[in-house]
Amino acid sequence: MDNGMESILDTYLFETNSLLDQLDEMLMRDEKIGDFSPDDVNEIFRIMHTIKGSSAMMEFGSLSSIAHHIEDLFFYIRDKGIDTLDSQHKKELFNLMFRSEDCLRGQVEKVESGEPLDTDLDSFAAEINSFLKKISGAGEEKAAASEPAQEKAGEPTETVPAGTSVSPESLPDDKSAVCFLHVFLDEGIGMENLRAFMIVNSLKECELEFRYYPENMESNPDTCASIIEDGFYMAFESTDMAAKASDLLRTQGHIRSYELLEVAEEKQEEAPHTETAEAHTDSEGQAPSDQAKAAPKPPAPAKQASAPAKQNLISVNLMKLDSLQNLVGEIVITESMVTSSPELNQLSRDAYDSFMKSARQLRKLTDDLQDITMSLRMVPISGVFQKMSRIVRDMKQKLGKDVRLTLIGEDTEVDKTIVDSIQDPIMHMVRNAMDHGIEDTSQERISAGKNAQGEIILSASHTSSEVVISIADDGKGMNPDKLLAKAKEKGILTKPESEYSKKEALGLVMLPGFSTNKTVTEFSGRGVGMDVVKKNVESVGGVVSLSSEEGHGTTFTMKIPLTLAIVDGMKVTVGSSTFTIPIANIRQSFKILPEEIICDENGSEMVEKMGSYYPIVRLHRFYGIETEVLNLEAGILLWVETSDRSFCLFVDELIGEQQVVVKPLPAFLDYFELKNFGISGCTILGDGNISIILDIQSLHAAALENI
Amino acid sequence: MSEHINEQELTEMPGTEEVSTVERCLTFESGDLILYISTKHVIEIINNHSITKLPLMPPYIRGIINLRGQILPVVDIQLRMGKESPELASKTCIIVLDINSVSLGIIVDSVRQVIDIDLKNVRPIPLKRQQKLLDGMVTMEDGSVFMSIDCQALSSPQ
Repeated sequence: MDNGMESILDTYLFETNSLLDQLDEMLMRDEKIGDFSPDDVNEIFRIMHTIKGSSAMMEFGSLSSIAHHIEDLFFYIRDKGIDTLDSQHKKELFNLMFRSEDCLRGQVEKVESGEPLDTDLDSFAAEINSFLKKISGAGEEKAAASEPAQEKAGEPTETVPAGTSVSPESLPDDKSAVCFLHVFLDEGIGMENLRAFMIVNSLKECELEFRYYPENMESNPDTCASIIEDGFYMAFESTDMAAKASDLLRTQGHIRSYELLEVAEEKQEEAPHTETAEAHTDSEGQAPSDQAKAAPKPPAPAKQASAPAKQNLISVNLMKLDSLQNLVGEIVITESMVTSSPELNQLSRDAYDSFMKSARQLRKLTDDLQDITMSLRMVPISGVFQKMSRIVRDMKQKLGKDVRLTLIGEDTEVDKTIVDSIQDPIMHMVRNAMDHGIEDTSQERISAGKNAQGEIILSASHTSSEVVISIADDGKGMNPDKLLAKAKEKGILTKPESEYSKKEALGLVMLPGFSTNKTVTEFSGRGVGMDVVKKNVESVGGVVSLSSEEGHGTTFTMKIPLTLAIVDGMKVTVGSSTFTIPIANIRQSFKILPEEIICDENGSEMVEKMGSYYPIVRLHRFYGIETEVLNLEAGILLWVETSDRSFCLFVDELIGEQQVVVKPLPAFLDYFELKNFGISGCTILGDGNISIILDIQSLHAAALENI
Repeated sequence: MSEHINEQELTEMPGTEEVSTVERCLTFESGDLILYISTKHVIEIINNHSITKLPLMPPYIRGIINLRGQILPVVDIQLRMGKESPELASKTCIIVLDINSVSLGIIVDSVRQVIDIDLKNVRPIPLKRQQKLLDGMVTMEDGSVFMSIDCQALSSPQ
């Protein structure tokens, strides 16, 4: 039971969040052109209706009521046409919608984290209502028209009390009926014919006998229009039955109103005599079979109908994808274990050939499988970018700066875990660019010879092994001297001021506790910004760099490996241990002669390469591994580099290149913080042995910086 | 399945009023001690697994093993208790444990059997020690003394 609830909640959250995303996207797009398209008005109405319904089902009252009010608002707008609003109203509407979206999101987040929902959202609802009143303006009767709509979530209103006679012309031609129930459905629910049929069915299940008009509504979608316009009729042969039915109708959803109509006297007189028998066979024979056939169906088509344009997508728990990927990794490894097993040499030549033939086939399949598994986890980065346009929009208004955001390469695909971990860094950098980067006034910009409108360019692109994301603004840029002065004031300089290069000075921005803005604003300037950004990006194996020209703007560039799970590695041995070094970090490997080694006063070794000197790290010494290869000329040197750090690693032997599946070290070992000592994970080799994966960045930090 | 058997035997056992105090335990030898650990923590027992050494580790962490794709740390409980441990014999016996979803293997000399131990009979060890890895002792009917491993201490490195 619990489990069931949980999965319903998951589905609810997923659905609501994606609807809100959709809403956000639509609002951003529409705001750009400053107008709502009629399609979008319908779409917003539909989204709100869905959120209202599902939230009510989950008993999240506040969510449901806000959605309900917005739905009312859009019901009115849809009814009157968006063009009746003047541009001032439209602007207000956009602001209101963005705020409602935030409000809804806030509530959904509370649901996610299991907190209780806000109960006092009445003021916000009142705001929506007052806006509705405002746009409905003087037309009192218009406002009145929307009133019944507001009631529709509650009990259906019985507009005409029982016993009212109406002109027979409007009623369906049913001679045996003594009275009719005339039912109107909620507006805009879609698939009215099926909904009507569902109502009919549920009444029949309560052992009521009646006929309904239009008769073919379950199979003929064209009846939709007439049901929307004129409602539908249920014909009863006794008033008792009709009364019962009208009671039951109260329990049904999507009904706006219904009325009980009695047929004029003379008809009532003749009906019972002539057609009772027929009516019986009608409802007993035909209806149940119809019912059996149709009963399971309606929910399904109804659901499809609510999202006709939806792509054929399913949502999968990320955990499942992770374990799928792990399994596929295992298969790849096991496969090479099988095909390289020494027992194969005992096969006869023919048998070996045919074995290898099938093995190659298997290889191809596992390769394909691996590719597909990898691609499953890839999602376009556009979701993150979209959120940025929202942030820029909000900040634009609050800061009063005129800035446009240009997005490039939104459809670049990135591993899901990476997308999650770079969202906050990107957000931070965009905020920084808005707050500190772009000049405060357009006057400033014009006098600097720039376009009055500031620009922030957010771009993403692929290289062979990396995703490059850059955030560029054309604002003030940074002044290295100012940065240095600031850093000095904060006491975070590690060497004399004059020794800092421009690049190093800019790099100060990413140190903890550095914030150049004197005043803390709502958006940035707490000094916990860039260092957190750097840490986040590094946690997914990426690097952040920045370049800045004073007066011309600042560019932050993040380079992040495409995927975390598979690495092209070089296997090396030290003593009895095997290490894997990411190929991307290796510049060169070379043998060395004793006379090339240069030592400093502590005996630390260095080697000259292409005009620069690089320190040598003896892996066996650093890790305390016993090995017979102690002379530098006996082993081999690997020249490795990462971002701006470059050094040489001394190892016993190179074994070869291999793609490896990265596995984290057991949680038990977290205590020892091996990550800070150059060990980022491990991998299982083809023979089942484990190789340790080195992280050049932290190895450099541990071996060379903290002495 | 094991639970099923457990229940059956418990109902047959005379003199146990409080069912919950009896625990099914795996006994094993390590050095000259006989130790036991509740079977609810034991995943499996493996032999002859090659252990990959990790650098910069305290000696009692022998390294990591690859158990069907899962990477597990291996703890030598002799070293963990501060004793000398002989070089690993060719027939290393590793008990794979899951303690509060921390998985690890411990190296033992040999595995004995599974027995039921009434927790009411377990006494604390009346000695002050620095390396507290054992947290109880129990005397069996034949007079031998079994000691219990403190799972909490085992699963948190120090």
